[in-house]
Amino acid sequence: MIEIKNLCKSYNGVMALNNVTMDINDDDIFGLIGTNGAGKSTLLRIISGVIKQDSGEVLVDGESVFENPSAKEKLCFISDSDMFPQNSTPASMSEICRAVYKDFDQTRFEFMSNKLGMGKNSNIRNYSKGMKRQLKLLLALSSGAKYILCDEAFDGLDPVIRQTVKSIMAEEVYDRKIVPVIASHNLREIEDISGRIGLLHKGSVLLSEQLEDIKFQSQKFQVVLQDVSQEATISSLIHPISIDRSGSLFTVIARGQRDGIKKAVNSLDPVFFEFLPLTLEEIFITETEACGYDLRKIFA
Amino acid sequence: MIEVNYQDPRAIYEQLVDKYEILIATGVFKKDERLPSVRSIASKLSVNPNTVQKAFSILEDNGYIYSVKGKGSFVAEPSSLRKDRIRKWQETLSDLIAEAIKLGFSREDCINEVATIYDKEGRKK
Repeated sequence: MIEIKNLCKSYNGVMALNNVTMDINDDDIFGLIGTNGAGKSTLLRIISGVIKQDSGEVLVDGESVFENPSAKEKLCFISDSDMFPQNSTPASMSEICRAVYKDFDQTRFEFMSNKLGMGKNSNIRNYSKGMKRQLKLLLALSSGAKYILCDEAFDGLDPVIRQTVKSIMAEEVYDRKIVPVIASHNLREIEDISGRIGLLHKGSVLLSEQLEDIKFQSQKFQVVLQDVSQEATISSLIHPISIDRSGSLFTVIARGQRDGIKKAVNSLDPVFFEFLPLTLEEIFITETEACGYDLRKIFA
Repeated sequence: MIEVNYQDPRAIYEQLVDKYEILIATGVFKKDERLPSVRSIASKLSVNPNTVQKAFSILEDNGYIYSVKGKGSFVAEPSSLRKDRIRKWQETLSDLIAEAIKLGFSREDCINEVATIYDKEGRKK
């Protein structure tokens, strides 16, 4: 388990993380999402011990990570930026990894890199962006590390490789109990594979919960009221996060459980009333909008 | 045989529960037959094993499957599942008929419509 407590980090006076507290539990896939510049990469870099926080702490299975090789062996960070040294090859990279990760699975790495058509001694400089990403993922999945931190690692992979990587991850979660932490903007994908979600905005945590619970606690519905003036009544009854009107049809997102909202809305005897599925994308948008992140207002 | 539909608004575990219920109720999986393992389903569908585990727990809680430690999950006696699925089907049907009535269908129209569809589907089998 990774415990993140009151983490703060600023770069030249710009606050990147502001009092971040969240837990990343074992036996699950954690999805890290957030607005651009929210601090996702900073958080992952601190967790993996690449940079040091200003205050607060990160404990990986109870140990602090920074400059602690035994804790670092449990972590593998797939950075978003290019991390390969000059003139490196798959063989030289696996050698570096073997030095760091005692349980590095060389046979597996060679088998998989071979399958993906990466020559053992081919120069990584000549690889495409997608192939570099594949190689990073391969190294991480062969590393034997428990926590695999992926900074937008799936972005830029073709659909076939993507499915394959997700399948391998699913097997590893089951067999070795690895804990993937996946930062991404592909919300649909995160929604499909993560059990737990952390939502960051401007360096703070907006949500850190089981995805099922988030969906259970927020509802989206459409309603046609008998009289448009009832909008005020509905607002006072259920305190919507967002309410969108087109003609006499209202589309509402509100916090609360389904039964309570159903009762409240039905008490107004609406002409039409229906719950709609709430996607992670909508949760993302409404939660960040509630914090004043609405760019339509800027461009309007 | 089992696929995840990403356009489906239902959660993946709900889709899995639904699909396995149908496969068991229609006799594709026979009584006491072993279901594929959680690991192989998760790997094949590229989904979180916890999601598959959750679907299996729900099926087990409802008594549709049973698990044997170290051996996997097996299909239970399907008669209660069949009853439940029939009830679900009847609920869906009554929603559809309520809508047909709103659209102005007579009793006759509904029966004719059902008969036509039944014949068409029956021919496919």
